[in-house]
Amino acid sequence: MKLKKYITLTRAGIIEALQFRLSFVVMVIGNLLYLIVVYFLWKAIYASAGTDVVNGMTFNDTLIYLVLATALFNFMEMYTVWEIGRNIQSGKIVLDLLKPMEYRKYLFWSYSGTFVTQFFLTFLPTFIVVSVVTHGAVPLGINLLYFVISVVMAVSINYSIDFLVGTICLYTESIWGINIMKQVIVLLLSGATIPLAFFPEPLRSAMYYLPFQSIYNAPLSLLLDGDPQPQTVLTTLGMQAMWCIFMLLLSKGFWKVSLRQITVNGG
Amino acid sequence: MQKKGIRFYLRIYCKILAQDLKSKMSYRADFIISTVGMIFTNISGFVSFWILFRSFPSLNGWSYYEMLFLYGFSLVSITPVQCFFDNNWSLRQNVYSGDFIKYCFRPINLFFYYQSEVFDIKGLGQLAFGIGTLIYAWVKIGLPFSVLMLLKMTVFLLTASLVMIALQNAAAASCFWIENSFYVLDLVCRFKDYAKYPITIFSPVFRFIFTFLMPIAFIAYYPSLVVLRPDAVPLLSWLSPLVGIAFFFVSYKIWMRGAMKYSGTGS
Repeated sequence: MKLKKYITLTRAGIIEALQFRLSFVVMVIGNLLYLIVVYFLWKAIYASAGTDVVNGMTFNDTLIYLVLATALFNFMEMYTVWEIGRNIQSGKIVLDLLKPMEYRKYLFWSYSGTFVTQFFLTFLPTFIVVSVVTHGAVPLGINLLYFVISVVMAVSINYSIDFLVGTICLYTESIWGINIMKQVIVLLLSGATIPLAFFPEPLRSAMYYLPFQSIYNAPLSLLLDGDPQPQTVLTTLGMQAMWCIFMLLLSKGFWKVSLRQITVNGG
Repeated sequence: MQKKGIRFYLRIYCKILAQDLKSKMSYRADFIISTVGMIFTNISGFVSFWILFRSFPSLNGWSYYEMLFLYGFSLVSITPVQCFFDNNWSLRQNVYSGDFIKYCFRPINLFFYYQSEVFDIKGLGQLAFGIGTLIYAWVKIGLPFSVLMLLKMTVFLLTASLVMIALQNAAAASCFWIENSFYVLDLVCRFKDYAKYPITIFSPVFRFIFTFLMPIAFIAYYPSLVVLRPDAVPLLSWLSPLVGIAFFFVSYKIWMRGAMKYSGTGS
């Protein structure tokens, strides 16, 4: 049974995640605060803009976009860089490398339990609340299917980037600096903090050629598009699939090369 | 134990600081990468700010440059917490591993000794960034400049920084009572990002909350009004230095209470 070992890791992850209930409560409070600030900030922005539609997005659109971006962020943040960095520093990585599973896969699957808990505990409730509060401003149709496919690829791209950046820790032994740089770049250029539509023109076009917009912008714009044109859907998903494969190969290759670099203290 | 003067503590601080800098310098790559990471964070914050507000002449009665002033003010006032109190982030690990006990056996103030152990140079980049932004906004708004203004500014900046320090102290001290307190600290750390918005954008309920319950309005909004809008300074602005000092004192007491209660891990 090939799948069984992965499922076991997922189950262990779920059990582990459910142990930390307080962190969950604090996280929910943190998100609520963030959303309150975002709500009032954008309300003020739309009030001073004088029009209902700014850069092709209404206040409702923007709010749904940002709320779901936050929910997606919680869902996708895997702290991979920290995990790899810490494992390198403590030497625990040696034990993980000896496991009869590729390190890249092991790390992913041991985290996958959190995906499950996060999906049911944060993303789904947020999604339902948003749909109810905005009186069905979120279109429920075929776009949900595209969204799910898109999110799966987004998770993969995000993980590949994380793993790639985590691999750099093998060389630098610096975690904080590397991680903060990655986080800042990904959050800004993926459209997680500000919708891509608000970026000034040359910058916006440039961002479509980077992998980051496939993480947040692509799934969210597919979700918010109630009347998807086959062409847009195909381009978006195609672009994601391309980045998915490219980043996967890149991170795998880089890891393979870097593994020869490894020096472990004690362990 | 006789009381020791402020001069004694300053001398000790300089000595510990020198040791800390030496040990940081031995990890040169980490130091450089962390500094670059910090610069990245500031640039991305600035870019987000610029993208959001470039197309609107004003937000809720606040001009672009006034918003920039608030932003610069918040950057400067959160620098001390970054530079001098960064060791709060390690408090949790120290308490769990039992290393914290070593601080309890020194014949100087426990809180002082613990915080003095780490000085975070990265914060200085943020300080330069903040001061630059402040001066730029100051000139653009055409605020008058006098020695008195500068004095006022300095006093209000310093006392405003106490608010964030107090919040962080209290959050870090929560590790003496609860497990997994990283999330509490992380949550409070995110408040820093909300301090830069004028509190008038919020509804009355949240204005109250952000003023009295989670005093983030005292990090930048209230104190900066003294310089920014000298014609109509609300009472709370004049009170903000006292608020800062009071919060700091309370957080110090909480921190010390937790530390005194600490009984080690027995190792």
